[in-house]
Amino acid sequence: MSNADEIKIDQPPLNFEKCPENDEERTKRLLIEELISQSDDNCIPLPALRELALSNYGLVNDDLRRILWPQLAGVDVRNLDRVPTLDELQSHPEYNQVVLDVNRSLKRFPPGIPYEQRIALQDQLTVLILRVIKKYPNLRYYQGYHDVAVTFLLVAGEEVAFAIMEELSTTHFSECMQETMEATQRRLMFIWPIVHFEHSELFQFLQSSSVGTLFALPWYLTWFGHSLNSYKSVVRLYDYFLASPIYTPVFVTAAIILYRAKTILQEDCDMASMHCLLSELPDDLPFEDLLITSRKLYDKYSLTVIEKKVEELIKLEKEQRILEERRRQLARSTSAKSHNNNNSVSRWFSNVITPRSVIMTTAVSLVVGICAYYYKNQYLSAGIS
Amino acid sequence: MTARNPQTLMALPNEDNFDFLFKIVLIGDCCTGKTSILQRFKTGNYVERHGNTIGVDFSMKTIEVEGKQVKLQIWDTAGQERFRTITQSYYRANNGVIIVYDITKRATFANLQKWIEEVRRYTASNVLIILIGNKCDLEEEREVDFEEARQMCQYIPEILFVMETSAKENTNVEDAFRCLATELKRQHDSNSVQAIDDNTVQLGQSKPLKSCSSSCNLT
Repeated sequence: MSNADEIKIDQPPLNFEKCPENDEERTKRLLIEELISQSDDNCIPLPALRELALSNYGLVNDDLRRILWPQLAGVDVRNLDRVPTLDELQSHPEYNQVVLDVNRSLKRFPPGIPYEQRIALQDQLTVLILRVIKKYPNLRYYQGYHDVAVTFLLVAGEEVAFAIMEELSTTHFSECMQETMEATQRRLMFIWPIVHFEHSELFQFLQSSSVGTLFALPWYLTWFGHSLNSYKSVVRLYDYFLASPIYTPVFVTAAIILYRAKTILQEDCDMASMHCLLSELPDDLPFEDLLITSRKLYDKYSLTVIEKKVEELIKLEKEQRILEERRRQLARSTSAKSHNNNNSVSRWFSNVITPRSVIMTTAVSLVVGICAYYYKNQYLSAGIS
Repeated sequence: MTARNPQTLMALPNEDNFDFLFKIVLIGDCCTGKTSILQRFKTGNYVERHGNTIGVDFSMKTIEVEGKQVKLQIWDTAGQERFRTITQSYYRANNGVIIVYDITKRATFANLQKWIEEVRRYTASNVLIILIGNKCDLEEEREVDFEEARQMCQYIPEILFVMETSAKENTNVEDAFRCLATELKRQHDSNSVQAIDDNTVQLGQSKPLKSCSSSCNLT
């Protein structure tokens, strides 16, 4: 039975609540602090840092993230560019779009943040985004990009956040920032072979619902930042993605779908119900387990094999679409023949005879008349002389 | 089209008890208030600043039209041009389209032509379109006169009607959906008469085929 009517479209507030540190988090935090203090420039060797970011609890808290995220993203914090002012960027063609989106990003700021501070941060966010797309004119801004940028801004500050966004925009998000979303759409289809290999019944079920991959689009475009209701989970996932290869969010998505297999298989097998169910991420997803699964899936299946399967899927979908199109055209032409003939003619006629068209026709015929009269006179006088 | 016998559905909760199901898609430029309109219709609430829609969101609501329960499945699409290629695939199976513009932003009205072309290209020929001019509470910032929108509609036969709404002050929101639902139901009622005719023809055609196969078996 569908519970789609329960789905609310308003966004619940982002939960910034700080949970008390558990024992494992404490142990991990102490370990990371120890490693940082051992080095003279706050650096942890990259392989070790990656492992810390990937394993349970990631980099634990935002103080550590502030130090370690730039390293993880491969950014040199000693060599940062000057921040331009908002005025310098106002002429950018995407300026209005970015401002609109930033103004609507209230959910991502901690509640109770003083008004002036929030406004200042929103201005910084606008600058940060425009700087990147100004520097890389081939990269196109998309709605959701600001969800990524705000995460780095709030943790690392505007200068470092810019450097990180610059790096990610030319690597992880470069595909999403192409002229069209086609490449991204295709990338999202990588979910299906993984689900197919792991749970073919679930795959068949999802395919027959024709749900598509759009439910996962905001997840992919924002590294789940747009869709999760817990701040803690957002930054934890960012630890993981910063330390992971480029298409990892696809594998996390597959892990989520596989984890929810039982619920999915109980749902009505139609596009709407399925889209509803999948697009709402439950608040109690065991992310640490899901990230472990995602890593296993990544190691298990090569991207080449997945890509090949995706090509087959696309081919199949295309064939089905052509068939459907033909069927529809056939239905349309038969129904048009039998019913709509008179109707469409009268419709067309009533369209043609509008007050404006009458005035236009009169005006045109008048002009033609005047011209004819003028030329006639001209030729006549020429003939006489 | 899903039509269920109310008697067999007695045990099910109210919202699943419907006679008609129609699919509607909301399109229009960025920040014209598509999500706010849907939110107002669906929950009765208004949120001043929504997060933006990435891709498509989805909502359902059942209303009563001419004594029948009509369930509306509403797809709310992202306005940014970049998502257009993606949201197009969601137009296909729709019965109704609501195009939204912002009466305080002339550009969103000027873009209507583009949206209408999209609809023509990607939806079935019998799709019903309505036009909504949102934010009519902001009278002092108005850039598009209602009369102008009405005149434009005369030239576009697919558009059933144009209505000005305010999601903020809850003006005409319910009415817009209700009018569209009523028209969809009427269209369905008249089509089903045709469908019965079509069915009988199909049945007639299938008969000789069956008799052929059985005669083939006999020989």
